[in-house]
Amino acid sequence: MSAAAKELARTEGVLASVLQYGTWCASGVIAVGLALAFFNRQADMPVVAAGIGLLILLPVVRVILMLGAFLRQKDYRFAAVAALVLTIICLGFVAGIMSRSGGGG
Amino acid sequence: MNAGFELWLFAVSFGAAALGGMLGMASGIFIVPILTMFGSIDIHTAIGASIVSVIACSCGSAASFLKGRLTNIRLAIVLETATTAGALTGVLLVGAIPVSYLYFLFALILVLSARQMLARRREPLSPKTDADAPRRPWQLDSTYPDRALGGDIPYQVRRLPIGMILMYGAGLISALLGIGSGVLKIPAMDSALRLPIKVSSATSNFMIGVTAAASAGAYFVRGDIVAPIAGPVALGSVVGAAVGARILMAVSGERIRLLFVAVLMILAVQMLLAAFGIDIMRGLR
Repeated sequence: MSAAAKELARTEGVLASVLQYGTWCASGVIAVGLALAFFNRQADMPVVAAGIGLLILLPVVRVILMLGAFLRQKDYRFAAVAALVLTIICLGFVAGIMSRSGGGG
Repeated sequence: MNAGFELWLFAVSFGAAALGGMLGMASGIFIVPILTMFGSIDIHTAIGASIVSVIACSCGSAASFLKGRLTNIRLAIVLETATTAGALTGVLLVGAIPVSYLYFLFALILVLSARQMLARRREPLSPKTDADAPRRPWQLDSTYPDRALGGDIPYQVRRLPIGMILMYGAGLISALLGIGSGVLKIPAMDSALRLPIKVSSATSNFMIGVTAAASAGAYFVRGDIVAPIAGPVALGSVVGAAVGARILMAVSGERIRLLFVAVLMILAVQMLLAAFGIDIMRGLR
């Protein structure tokens, strides 16, 4: 394997682990939250909401990891692409916040 | 929110994901129709729950594709600029689109999914390469391992601009309907980009999570994601997908395929009726 291929394999390995464990962690939080709400007879589910938040952040973390990997490999073109994707996702968050306070869109 | 309903949500999501897992197909397409038609849940809440489960399934299954060295992560990140841009557009539009249009669009996507499930896809015996094609500046060409052909098969990424446009559309629909849009991404990568089908599937699956996160973030912040509903649905989907992938099909694969198609068509008809039903009700007032 060439050095570049080794780097790629290493990056993919990290992404695989993070995504795998991250999914189970977030799912675990959701499960715990649901159990808590059930046993406490609560309608409010802040823990479940946190678990859902973790799930939503997982792909974002994945893009950040890719950005880091590209920078480490001095692959600035792809790093810029990853940064662009992150920016667009953040704009999505902003759009959500604005349509909540502004109302109507 | 009673426990019985939560259990129902979990069971339904589990069932759909397990069915999809056995076939290697995503189950996100089922969630909104089932939640709206059978659970009487508001479509925007259903979309919120669905988009979360889509992220969960995408992230949960990404590892096996990555380890199989089928995912082209560089191509994915490039295409993701288009899908997330489409998702952002969808987020901005979703308030303005009448619900009946969403139902109609859903019916179309369900029929499209049924068609794809029925069409038999065969991998060409020789990979599509063009030795005389100019070297692209983006280094997206790669290889993938194919046991049948014995070794790493090189492939090229062709016609990226068309692919980007299609990905934009896929991202838009993903945000509007709360689905993964793999049903749109895979054919786009297959025909427009001329990728081997295994690479298309793996890379599409990889991209779905990021595309969904672009809209899910907005919906979460907006309050469209309701924890008592999205929680059981996401959990059921993750567990169901994991179980489904592990079950060796005791029933013939063909039967499950047909079951899948039947459910898709039934839901498509219901969504279509809902699309017109709402219009009719408005007309009667």
